[in-house]
Amino acid sequence: MYRLFGGFGKPKNPHSLENLKHLYNVLLKNKTVTDNNRGLLVEVLRSITEILIWGDQNDSSVFDFFLERNMLSFFLEILKQKCGSYVNVQLLQTLNILFENIRNETSLYYLLSNNHVNSIIVHKFDFSDEEVMAYYISFLKTLSLKLNVHTVNFFYNVHTNDFPLYTEAIKFFNHPESMVRIAVRTLTLNVYKVGDKSMLSFIRNKTAAPYFSNLVWFIGSHVLELDACVSNDANNQNQIHCLADLVAEHLDHLHYLNDILTLDISDLNEVLNDHLLNKLLTPLYIFSLIPDDQLKPAQTSKPRMSTIVSLFLLSQVFLIISMYPLVRTLTEIILQGSLDIFEHDEDSPVSNKLIIPSFVPPPKTLEESLDSATTPSTSIVSTTESNVSNITDEEKEQILAQELQTGFFFETIIKALSCEENDHKALFALCLLHSISCNKGINQDLLAGTLIAGPSEKPKYNTRLVEKLIEIMSLSCQPRSGIRLVTLELTIALLKRLVVLNGRSILQDAHFAAVIDAKEESIQLAQTFFKNDDVFLDTFEDEYTDMKRKPLNVEFLMMDSKILLSPSTTCTPLTGIEFRKRLPCGNVERARRAIRVFLLIREFSLMLTGEMELQLPLTDRSNCYQVNSALDFNNADLIHCIFIGKDGIKAKRFLVIDSTHLILIEPDSRLGWGIVKLAAFLQDIEVVGDKENPQCLSVTMHHSTSGALTAKFIFDDHVRCMAAKQRLTKARTIARVQKLNQLARLFDLPVQTTHSSPGSRMFFRHPRSGGRRLPGFAAPIKVPSSSFAAAKNGSSNGHCRSLSSSPKPSTTYCPNEDIPLENIALKTINPANVASSVEEQSETSNASSSQDAPVNDTAEPSDLETSFSQISVSSKKTARRKGKVETV
Amino acid sequence: MSYAYLFKYIIIGDTGVGKSCLLLQFTDKRFQPIHDLTIGVEFGARMITIDGKQIKLQIWDTAGQEAFRSITRSYYRGAAGALLVYDITRRETFEHLTTWLEDARQHSNSNMVIMLIGNKSDLESRRDVKKEEGETFAREHNLIFMETSAKTAANVEEAFINTAKEIYEKIQEGVFDINNEANGIKIGPQHSPTNPNLPPGSQGANQSGGCC
Ligand SMILES: Nc1nc2c(ncn2[C@@H]2O[C@H](COP(=O)(O)OP(=O)(O)OP(=O)(O)O)[C@@H](O)[C@H]2O)c(=O)[nH]1
Ligand SMILES: [Mg+2]
Repeated sequence: MYRLFGGFGKPKNPHSLENLKHLYNVLLKNKTVTDNNRGLLVEVLRSITEILIWGDQNDSSVFDFFLERNMLSFFLEILKQKCGSYVNVQLLQTLNILFENIRNETSLYYLLSNNHVNSIIVHKFDFSDEEVMAYYISFLKTLSLKLNVHTVNFFYNVHTNDFPLYTEAIKFFNHPESMVRIAVRTLTLNVYKVGDKSMLSFIRNKTAAPYFSNLVWFIGSHVLELDACVSNDANNQNQIHCLADLVAEHLDHLHYLNDILTLDISDLNEVLNDHLLNKLLTPLYIFSLIPDDQLKPAQTSKPRMSTIVSLFLLSQVFLIISMYPLVRTLTEIILQGSLDIFEHDEDSPVSNKLIIPSFVPPPKTLEESLDSATTPSTSIVSTTESNVSNITDEEKEQILAQELQTGFFFETIIKALSCEENDHKALFALCLLHSISCNKGINQDLLAGTLIAGPSEKPKYNTRLVEKLIEIMSLSCQPRSGIRLVTLELTIALLKRLVVLNGRSILQDAHFAAVIDAKEESIQLAQTFFKNDDVFLDTFEDEYTDMKRKPLNVEFLMMDSKILLSPSTTCTPLTGIEFRKRLPCGNVERARRAIRVFLLIREFSLMLTGEMELQLPLTDRSNCYQVNSALDFNNADLIHCIFIGKDGIKAKRFLVIDSTHLILIEPDSRLGWGIVKLAAFLQDIEVVGDKENPQCLSVTMHHSTSGALTAKFIFDDHVRCMAAKQRLTKARTIARVQKLNQLARLFDLPVQTTHSSPGSRMFFRHPRSGGRRLPGFAAPIKVPSSSFAAAKNGSSNGHCRSLSSSPKPSTTYCPNEDIPLENIALKTINPANVASSVEEQSETSNASSSQDAPVNDTAEPSDLETSFSQISVSSKKTARRKGKVETV
Repeated sequence: MSYAYLFKYIIIGDTGVGKSCLLLQFTDKRFQPIHDLTIGVEFGARMITIDGKQIKLQIWDTAGQEAFRSITRSYYRGAAGALLVYDITRRETFEHLTTWLEDARQHSNSNMVIMLIGNKSDLESRRDVKKEEGETFAREHNLIFMETSAKTAANVEEAFINTAKEIYEKIQEGVFDINNEANGIKIGPQHSPTNPNLPPGSQGANQSGGCC
């Protein structure tokens, strides 16, 4: 490129005033753009920019010269010659770079001072060229990032009352290219943010009505497109993509509106609220809630969407926007409004003042209205505008209060909760009510007694609504129920808001009884799926964990376009739809669903009665042994083995099996003590022998202190291996039977009997003497008599626990006996082995797991109750609920 | 100039990590960073060739929109690729990556290709984040990774082009729905004989977002 400068004696230093002067001469000599000098000119412009940026940081004389010679006007001269997109693009990019990189405020003022930038902004570029469009809109956006109370005056001219940066940009608000639209939105927000009074009043008076009326029309057309996409039941990949895009697009619109509203510019918000309410939300969204058969003949031709889509979109509105007074007015219409709002009543003086909301195209395109800005008051929109601005907020509210009494739309929404065919509509009705109920911008007084529990002096609730909700709960417990889990979850979430005040239920007795009935039904449903097997137990535990881990998030739910598809078409896992958002497919899934229904309703009914959950989780996996804690293993049976974990590294370990855990330990320096290296609940393990090596077992742990893993255990010989296998397998079975019995009790089912005899268990005992602990002989013994006591390990912040594998070493095994907790607590500390320092901590770190004694054959539910209440006493005492007594 | 595909990129990361400089360095090689003058810009386009096909990259810098949720959201959705940039001399910019990534994953379409960039590799003496840490983060989150310098231009080409290659491969595998412009991919004017309903680069239509 530099060769182009050949004949002009180019200065050596490209970043210098000399070079700028030189380039100026080049420009002078090439005032007319031709095919021959095009490249040269582009390069000159680029170099000038570079020098300016350099000068901005290093030499102020550069800018002086630039201004003196009015060099920016050369840029304009070149533009005016219509020399094609190549030059234009380069020029726009050069300007972009210039404005992006100028740091010095004064330099920036210089550049902006003589209106040249505005002339460039209004230049009619060839916007059909996608490249020109992109560089142009980026240029405007870059400028908007430079706006502040000082610079705004270079762009907004008070005297001529124009603001080309803003008005030119918003003309592209509906450009087909999404990046262009985003740039426009960014620019508008940057402009509003500046907060200059006279500039804002220009925006409000000259542009707000045309811009917002076009914007809401644009949004409305997307909504209708979305509705068409939902009702076009193609149910193919295309429809799903299309739906996802349109839903995301609608969310984008709402977030944009919310971004404007939260800037809290009252003049602007007034106009925006008015347009949103009267040109979009009321006449399109709320209007679509009216059932077909209740439309006046004149109304049937008006644009509408299906009730489902309208409920869905209104939920999104309330989830995203919480700006008073918009949400408040909208809530008033929904809760109290009548059909009158869509009708002209000639006699009423009130409705003469109030405009009938209608979703109609703006009278002119935005470009037309902005270009004919001299007479904006002729448009319908601005008449509307002046009408509205004549009445104050207070008056408006009065008018609304007069007009809205009956609550037609609220009734319609409550009716939508009936799940006659399916729960499709009900789900969205629930979403809407829930999101109104949670919206921060709505005055609590408006909702109290209707959509939230209250008022606190005299709490009440809407009985019709609550009855509907309990009905959904009950329906979800029916064998072939068409209620999806998400619907039930949302029903319960809404009920909690309606009938729980300050943690206490305000339900009337009859309604409470209905909830309890539903709970019974859910137990019956769960019973029909109950199976005394591993799969059922695992499913139950998974469902419980899943429920606790992923509570319902309504905002995310309303971002998922797939729930718009009819639930009958989405009931297989192949659709990729999350389980809770679709109906179950096959028996396994039906069992899962029944369990979840049971769990959800159980949790809710416990909440209503103010009871604590004492029976769940079946297994508290956080309550496993802590790795690196030191425990006293005197009296425990240790089996020596080589452990090979995930990493393939071999480690010498001792295997200990207590009533609920498999533990791998490493001997501690203290005699008889061991450091826990890995622990897992017995119920979570699977043991298989190794075909190739009779000394080796392969143990899969679905949960352990090291996560899920499969490890190898190599024993000293095959006899010990066999014995260990037998013992692990048995212990696992017993652990599982106990869990299943816990489950059976939850489901009000008779408890399974077990025939396992404790005498068959093998215990390895190690000789007490000697520093090295080698497993001695294997000896089956009748009474398990190991008991460990715990000591706090420095690093494990006291969260270690002790075991007592045999609560009653003094007595012989007694299958039908409940072990009183006090007893266990006493036995936990073995005075022979535990130093006094350990005793101090026994209050917090000791816990008991009581049952080495195998499951009793005929435990009565009443026994169980007593035993659990005892535990609860003990858990209060130990602050954390640690020593979980499983079944006794 | 005509192209087979147009890929839209966004470039994200904390302020000051060098996003604008990377962008300009890639799109306009004439700004050689001599004389210690690093220059940036927020938009640029450039043509590259992959597999013998002309591909146009359009890069949109997202600086300054953090304040507005609507903008961030929309940008993510409109892009086929994202360069997630941190500054190897400032540890906090590396620590914020998780937040950036969460945002990106939440708002973008699931196929968006994300490239992790540790920028300012020329400032070895002031390095605060080890290269291995970047590699590990990228591996854990399934991203492509590269250290670059917008100042010396090291790896800048590669970063943008590798991202494009990844997108191109996804198109070949049929994962990207190229008939849907919302994904940040456009088919060039002469390259869509299969779909007459799709006028690439069509202008003037007032509707958008229409994808059916
Ligand atoms: N040494 C060195 N400096 C760089 C490099 N890239 C950028 N910089 C410098 O880092 C600073 C910030 O660069 P920008 O490109 O403006 O950063 P950004 O990410 O666009 O920042 P925002 O626009 O504020 O979000 C500038 O001073 C650059 O000169 C690089 O690779 N090496
Ligand atoms: Mg930047």
